[in-house]
Amino acid sequence: MRLVIADDEALLREGLARVLEDSGFEVVGRCGDAETLLPMVEAHRPDVAIVDIRMPPGHGDDGLVAAQEIRRRHPDVGVLVLSHYLDSRYAARLLEEVPAGAGYLLKDRVSEVAVVADALRRISQGDCVIDPTIVSRLVARKRARGPLDVLTPREREVLALVAEGRSNGAIGEQLFLSRKTVDSYVSQIFTKLDLHESPEANRRVLAVLTFLRSG
Amino acid sequence: MSGRRARWLPLFAVAAAVLVAAVTVAIVRREPELALAGSHPAALATELVAAFLLIAASIATWRSSTVFAALLAATALAWLVTEWNTPAAGPAFTPGLVLYAAWPPLLAAAALHGLEQQRPSRPAAVLLVVAFGSGVGVLGVASAAVFDPAAQGCGDCPTNQLLLAGAPALGGTLGQVGLALTAGWAVMFSVLALARIIRASPARRRWSAPVLVPAVAAVLLWGADAVHGLERGFVSNDPTDRTLRLAEAGALALVAVGVALARLRARRTRAALAQLVLDIGAAPLPGEVRAWLADSLDDPSLALLYRLDGGEWVDADGHETALRPPDGGETTRGRVAGQDVFAIIHRRGLLDDPTLLSELVTTASLALEHDRLHAICRARLEQLRASRARIVAAADAQRRELERDLHDGAQQRLVAVALAIRLARRKIAPDDAAMETRLAAAEDGVRAAVVALRDVAHGLFPAVLAEEGLAAALEELSEQVPRLVPRGLPPGRFPSDVESAAYFATLESLRLTEDDVTVDASADRGRLCLVIGAGNQTDSAMLQIQDRVGAVGGTATVCDGQLRVEMPCAS
Repeated sequence: MRLVIADDEALLREGLARVLEDSGFEVVGRCGDAETLLPMVEAHRPDVAIVDIRMPPGHGDDGLVAAQEIRRRHPDVGVLVLSHYLDSRYAARLLEEVPAGAGYLLKDRVSEVAVVADALRRISQGDCVIDPTIVSRLVARKRARGPLDVLTPREREVLALVAEGRSNGAIGEQLFLSRKTVDSYVSQIFTKLDLHESPEANRRVLAVLTFLRSG
Repeated sequence: MSGRRARWLPLFAVAAAVLVAAVTVAIVRREPELALAGSHPAALATELVAAFLLIAASIATWRSSTVFAALLAATALAWLVTEWNTPAAGPAFTPGLVLYAAWPPLLAAAALHGLEQQRPSRPAAVLLVVAFGSGVGVLGVASAAVFDPAAQGCGDCPTNQLLLAGAPALGGTLGQVGLALTAGWAVMFSVLALARIIRASPARRRWSAPVLVPAVAAVLLWGADAVHGLERGFVSNDPTDRTLRLAEAGALALVAVGVALARLRARRTRAALAQLVLDIGAAPLPGEVRAWLADSLDDPSLALLYRLDGGEWVDADGHETALRPPDGGETTRGRVAGQDVFAIIHRRGLLDDPTLLSELVTTASLALEHDRLHAICRARLEQLRASRARIVAAADAQRRELERDLHDGAQQRLVAVALAIRLARRKIAPDDAAMETRLAAAEDGVRAAVVALRDVAHGLFPAVLAEEGLAAALEELSEQVPRLVPRGLPPGRFPSDVESAAYFATLESLRLTEDDVTVDASADRGRLCLVIGAGNQTDSAMLQIQDRVGAVGGTATVCDGQLRVEMPCAS
C-alpha cells in the first residue's frame, strides 16, 4: 500500500515512516507542512495520506483543512488524521466531506503499529476509523436529547464499535454474538437512522457521522 | 466685586436719594406750574415712587453687581435732578442745567452693563459715548456755558454758575443738535438692546429681558420727548411733555420691577438647587445633576464632565470622555482654587455670564461635589476592572502559549521517542526476552506520559475554545466530563475573554460538585447569560468564578441552587 506522511516533527515523521515500511507499507512521500501536502498527493496518488492535524503555516487546524481538501479533490485517496486532540468535532469534520475512507487517531497510538496498520487497511477499503478513546467518551456522554435516542442500548454499543472501524465479524467476537445477529443489528441501525436510501458503502460512515454529531 | 468699596453704596444711595428727593420736592412745591410732570401732587408722587423703586432695586443688586447697582442709583438721582432745571431751583439751578438730560444715558449704561456684568461691546461703547456726549455734553455743559438767563428773559432765574458768554443763537442750535442726537441714540439703543435679547440663550433671556425691555421703553419715551422739543430746541412741560414724563416714570418703575424679577429668579434657582441637594442627598443617581443642569439651563444636550487626578475627563458614570464640544457648542470649565474641577459642554453663549456660572457653582457645589466624587469612584472602578481584565487576559494568553508549546514540543517529541523505542524493539535479538520486556515497559511509560501531557495541555487552555468558540468547547468538555450536560448553547463567537470566563465558570462548577451539571446559555441584547445548574451552589465557593466573570464586567449570582452568570458580550 502506498502512503504519504505529513508531519512537521521530523523525528516523528521519519520514525513513523520506518515503522510502517518495516510492516510492508510503501512510503512514497514525506512533508512537514500543509502547503506541500496537496501537490505531493496529486503527484503520487497514494492509497492513504497520513496527516498531522496541527502543522505549519498556521499551526492551527491546517492539517485537517488540507485533509478535507484531499477528500474533496481526490475521493479515492484515503486520509488518516493524527491528532493530540480528543475532539470528536474534528473527526466529524473529516467525515462530512466525503463519507468514506477516512480516519482520526490519537497520536499516542502510532507506536502501536498493528492499530495503525489495521486502520490504514480499513481506510483504503473505504471504511472509517475513529479512535476508541473518542468513541468511548461519546458513549459515556449524557445527552439531554439526541438523534441516537431511537436506538436501543445494544444497538448503540454496536454503533460505537462500527465507529472504531471494526468489521461486523470483529464486533461479533467482541460482543459474543453471531455474525448474523450483528448484521441484523447493523441493518436495524441503518433503518432507524434513515440511512437505507444511501449507497451501501457509505451507510456505515454516515451512521458513524450521526454518532459523532449526536451532541 | 470689591466688598469694601461696595459696602457703603446702599447707605450712600439712600442718603443721597432722600436728600435729592427733599430738594426736588421743595423746588416743585415752590413753583408747581413749572413741574415737568404736571402741577398735581400725584405727578410728583409718581416721579418719587419711580426714583425710590430704582433705589430699592439698586440696593437689592449691589451684592451681585456693584457697577449695575451704582448706575441704577445714579439713574434714580438724575431722574429727580431733571426737575431742578427751573427758575425755582435756587442754588440747585446750575446742577439742574448740567444734568437734566443725564438719566437716559445712565439708564442705558446700566441696562447694557446688565446684571450679568457683560463686557461692553464696541457698538455699545460707541453708543454710550454718543449718549453721554449729547445728554451731558451738548444739552448739559455746552448749553449751560452759553446760557445767560437774565439776557434771555428769565429775570427770576438764579445765577448760572457755568456761564462763559451768553450766546442765545448758539444755545438754540446746541439744544436742537443735542435733541436730534438724543433721538438718534435712543433708537440705536433700542435696536442694540432688542438684538441682544433675541440673540441671548433662553436661560439668559429670562434674566435680562425684564430689565432691558422697560429700559428701552423709558429711553424711547425720552427720545420721543426730544423729537417733540426739537423745533423749539429744549424740553419743556407742555401737555405732551407731561404725559411723556409720566410714562417715563412708569417705565422706570418697571425697570425696578424687572430687576426684582431677575433677583427673584436667581433666588428660585438657588432654592431649586438647594432642593436638588436635598433630593439627591440620600440616593444620588449618576447623571441626576447633569439632567438638572440641562433642565434649568434649557439645553438638553448639555454634558457635565469631571476631571480626574490624572487629567482625564469622565462623565457621571465614570466613562472617559473627550473634552471636545460639538459644532455650535462650547466648553465652560469650573475651577476651584485655580484647579479645573468640572466642565460643562453646552450650547454656545449659554454660560458666558459669569454671575450665572458662579451662582450655579455656589449653590450647586454640594451636589456637584457629590456627583464628582461618585464619578471619580466609578472611573476608578472602571480602571480597576480594566486592569483586572488585562491581568486575566494576560494569564489566558500565557496558558494558551504554554499549551501550544507543550503540543508542538514535548508531546510531539515523546511520540517520536515511543516510535524510536518501537523501532529499537525490532532490532533486539529474538532470545533477549529481558530487554524486550524492559523496552516494552519503556514504550508504555512514554505513551502514558503522552496521555498525561495531553490532559495537562488541554487543562491549560483548550485549543477548541480559541479556535471554535464557547459552544464547541463546552460540547468537547462534555465528552471529557460526561457529567456535563450542555443544553441550549448560542452559536457564533463572543469576545475571547467572555468565552474564557464562561468556560471557566462551567469548569469550576464541575469541580465544585459531584452531581450532573447542566448549562443553558443565551445571548440577548449584548449580554451572554449562562444558567449553570449544579446541585447546591454556595456563595463562598464561587469567589473564583466571580473574580473571573467580574473581570469582564459581568455578574455571577446564585439563585435557587443555580448559578447565573451574565456578561456584556457586545464586541
